[in-house]
Amino acid sequence: MYYPEPIERLIENMTRLPGIGRKTATRLAFFLLNAKESYVSELSHSLLDIKDKIKLCSVCFNITDVDPCRICTDEKRDQSTVCVVEESSHMMVLESASPGVYRYHILHGVINPIEGIGPDEVRIKELKERIEREGIREVIIATNPNIEGNTTAHYIGELLKHLDVKISRIASGVPVGGDIVYIDPLTIKSSIENRKDI
Amino acid sequence: MLHKDEAIVLFKRAYGESDKIIRLFTLTSGKIAAIAKGASKSQKRFANTLEPFNHIRVEYFEKFGKGLVRIDNADIVETNSGIERSLRRASTAAFFTEFADRLTKDRERNIDLFHTLKEVLLFTKQRELSYMDILRYELKMLETLGYMPNFTACVYCGKNVKEEMKVCFSRERGGILCSACSSPLPHRVYSAGTIPGIARIGNNHHRSAFEVHDKEGLPYMQDTGDVKRFEREAREIMEGFISFHLDVEFKSYRILKSLMG
Repeated sequence: MYYPEPIERLIENMTRLPGIGRKTATRLAFFLLNAKESYVSELSHSLLDIKDKIKLCSVCFNITDVDPCRICTDEKRDQSTVCVVEESSHMMVLESASPGVYRYHILHGVINPIEGIGPDEVRIKELKERIEREGIREVIIATNPNIEGNTTAHYIGELLKHLDVKISRIASGVPVGGDIVYIDPLTIKSSIENRKDI
Repeated sequence: MLHKDEAIVLFKRAYGESDKIIRLFTLTSGKIAAIAKGASKSQKRFANTLEPFNHIRVEYFEKFGKGLVRIDNADIVETNSGIERSLRRASTAAFFTEFADRLTKDRERNIDLFHTLKEVLLFTKQRELSYMDILRYELKMLETLGYMPNFTACVYCGKNVKEEMKVCFSRERGGILCSACSSPLPHRVYSAGTIPGIARIGNNHHRSAFEVHDKEGLPYMQDTGDVKRFEREAREIMEGFISFHLDVEFKSYRILKSLMG
């Protein structure tokens, strides 16, 4: 089917987005064609802005539009603790659970030798420098509890063990509201090993 | 068709919203690629099972003509727990799973390789493997796959070479050369004891790599310097052989090598 060149170009560009096929792209293109000019202008500016204004925070490596980011400059947060996460999206989850409490360090990946990702490919060196520079007293490692996340956690623990810093790992075990009958043996084992006094 | 098998998880990758693409090395069907629908979301169905280095029991559905099989059920026989305790353990485990993954074709049944992989992963869970251990399993896997370098006879004339004369290794021809054949052919000369040492490790006489007898006219490998030299030369031989003959570069080996010094 023939479309005028600008529409065809828009369709082609939108099919490069994840989950968007040619049919959906065509529908979106016609929606934009019929939309108000102010909306299309706003959309195009917001697209350009994410490339122009979004960068990584020089302290925690979170995505931000100001450097240092608002979390790093928030005086109310605990200055002696840093929570280490794999990605910015993981930080958002932790932040929604405990808003305004912690400061973070985003690794932008985890150690994964199968994929050839070693410690130099993630922001572990920068974490160590930051701990030494800022005199951080506690590091909470909140990487995923899988083989890559656990390897990264152990590596960080080993790297920081000579520093005067408490290193802890997020617990893994029975989820809140869960039923023990449906929990796998590894999770049960972990929850018993990581039990706490009441 | 529904299959039930034992498998070792070689690789996992997130796919789409909540699916995972998995590569398994199965006991009876060799390497297979599979999709686990909803594996990232449903903690009940596949909780912890489809993690690399796990030994699992798996049920998968195969549709004729389709590349990917669909994993319906999986449960753990032996977990990977312990491998995460150091980067060296994780890199060693990754190296051997990558070895099995990249040097086998899909559906190529190899029961010996399955058991060797299972064994090396079990050891890696328990302790950090020395280079000698890594070399032993590397040779064992090469032998299982039919890629073993020739450390017995000259690869050009076929004559057996005496232990003390095993010093020339031809990467291109994949084995040792006798002194007569070595002059016209490209090769590298290694210290006396290195090639017999590798051969001994390959034959599972692991400790005897350091007990090369003087009656054979070979020097002892008794101090750290000898061991270091042996490891350096053995690594050079193995790396050269693998990159020339198998044309693969293992991603995990780069990390493992940096840890071995």
